[in-house]
Amino acid sequence: MPLPKILARAAGLATEAGSGALQQLQHLRLPGVGQASVTDDPDTAARRWRAVTVLTDPEQLRTETPAPLARFGDRLEVRVTPAPGDRGAELAARFRSPVTEEELGELRSALREAKQRIETGEVLRNEPQPHGHRAQTPQGKALDGMDERAAKEGVL
Amino acid sequence: MKAATWTGVNEVSVEEVPEPQLLNDHDVILKVKQSVTCGSDLHLLGGYIPFMRAGDVLGHEFIGEIVEAGPAVRNRKVGDRVVGAPFAACGNCWYCKQEQYSLCDNGNAAPGITEGLWGQSPGGCLGYSHAMGGYAGSHAEYIRVPYGDVGTFVVPEGVSDTRALFASDAASTGWMGADLAGTKPGDVVAVWGAGGVGQMAARAAMLLGAEQVFVVDRIPERLQQVREHVGAEAIDYSRTDVLAELRERTGGRGPDVCIEAVGMEAHSSGSAGVYDQVKQQLRLQTDRPTALREAVMACRKGGSLFTLGVFAAMVDKFPLGALMNKGLTFRGAQVHAQRYIPELLERMERGELTTEHLATHVLPLSEAPRGYQMFKEKEDGCVRAVFTPGS
Repeated sequence: MPLPKILARAAGLATEAGSGALQQLQHLRLPGVGQASVTDDPDTAARRWRAVTVLTDPEQLRTETPAPLARFGDRLEVRVTPAPGDRGAELAARFRSPVTEEELGELRSALREAKQRIETGEVLRNEPQPHGHRAQTPQGKALDGMDERAAKEGVL
Repeated sequence: MKAATWTGVNEVSVEEVPEPQLLNDHDVILKVKQSVTCGSDLHLLGGYIPFMRAGDVLGHEFIGEIVEAGPAVRNRKVGDRVVGAPFAACGNCWYCKQEQYSLCDNGNAAPGITEGLWGQSPGGCLGYSHAMGGYAGSHAEYIRVPYGDVGTFVVPEGVSDTRALFASDAASTGWMGADLAGTKPGDVVAVWGAGGVGQMAARAAMLLGAEQVFVVDRIPERLQQVREHVGAEAIDYSRTDVLAELRERTGGRGPDVCIEAVGMEAHSSGSAGVYDQVKQQLRLQTDRPTALREAVMACRKGGSLFTLGVFAAMVDKFPLGALMNKGLTFRGAQVHAQRYIPELLERMERGELTTEHLATHVLPLSEAPRGYQMFKEKEDGCVRAVFTPGS
């Protein structure tokens, strides 16, 4: 295999490793780190409510399911409850049947997107950003992978 | 355009990079007039926060002129001379409504990394790694500021660029520490760290009515600035026992308010410093909390402690027993700059708050690598290196 092809393949593996590392980090239960995504079995994970608190009138959310969640159709149950202390509404969703990690990630992204659209009117973008020369190091590619995965991971 | 980028551990380069674009309707683009090094950049530079990608543009404390505004921007216009806040904050979420802008729910476009590290994500910070949103920083000819109405502040005509520049972060962070620590008239306040943030915390404490203010450091030029420009009492920790000194000067009580403005790379001349260096280099702890420990031990019973210095993850030998049994209140935060900048600009206009002395080295952007070197090594009395991308 020619060297450029080998390097490209290595870079691809590092990116995947970074993405995977972030996913794994969320499931670690070492003291003080990785307390984000839950570690349930697939059945329980699918049935767990994932929620964001949105500073808005709960009635507004009950009237119309936010578009990012509506895209899932009847695969999702959506629940809206008033948040305590004048914090707006708790917008929660869960799958009706077992799903993959990837699908859970898509739900996390959708909930965040729904919240942003309601609170600010748009979804904040961070690409493309000005940057200089990106050295194609394994560490750098691993960070690229983490970055790509970041929107689909976290506490939800 | 030209920009100063992180290119590896302890490596800064000046490169040609693409100009920023309006990515969201609430964005503004600034032509940067001045952008300054911050002590928290050194954690990025040294690889202690391992989420920098080679080529990332550094810088988060800046002043500039708006040259482009998105269609949803209502209160800023092209031509405004503005100071930018380091954190991207939407102004509409619950945290922003509580004026806790650095905790904005919507400011970090990629919150998964920090949620994994800390259990929740704070907002995004410009020029501060992919963990904090991956935004390009201000050491560049132009910068994009998300939520332009919320993240920029028009500078009054009578305030110079260099004075206003520090409202962006050093002064707003320092003010936040003194304010949220609950400083009130008659208090005795001690600040660890005589860099820009520490000096501004001390000045804020004085303006909030503290009767006695001490600043602890070891760098002679910085301690001299504390005496000359801030009007506080300086304590050189390399020449005296800080705890004994503070007890002696406070009738045996200790300070009412202790503000830590050092962060995860604290130095110490004693065995504690060696211990922390070794543990950090062996990766047995990520952060060196030497100053923070001392602040806990110094604080009077029932007093208040605030950490402004940036910490990333874990510290060792944290005196939690002292904190609990002495009944201390311990708080910390990244800067809620949007909450404080308007008031600071007013005080700067009235001459109550001066900051120009912090800009010990003003350099063209092309000299950013040298500026960071001087700033990191504290060479030539460098307190802050200010870059002028337009010059």
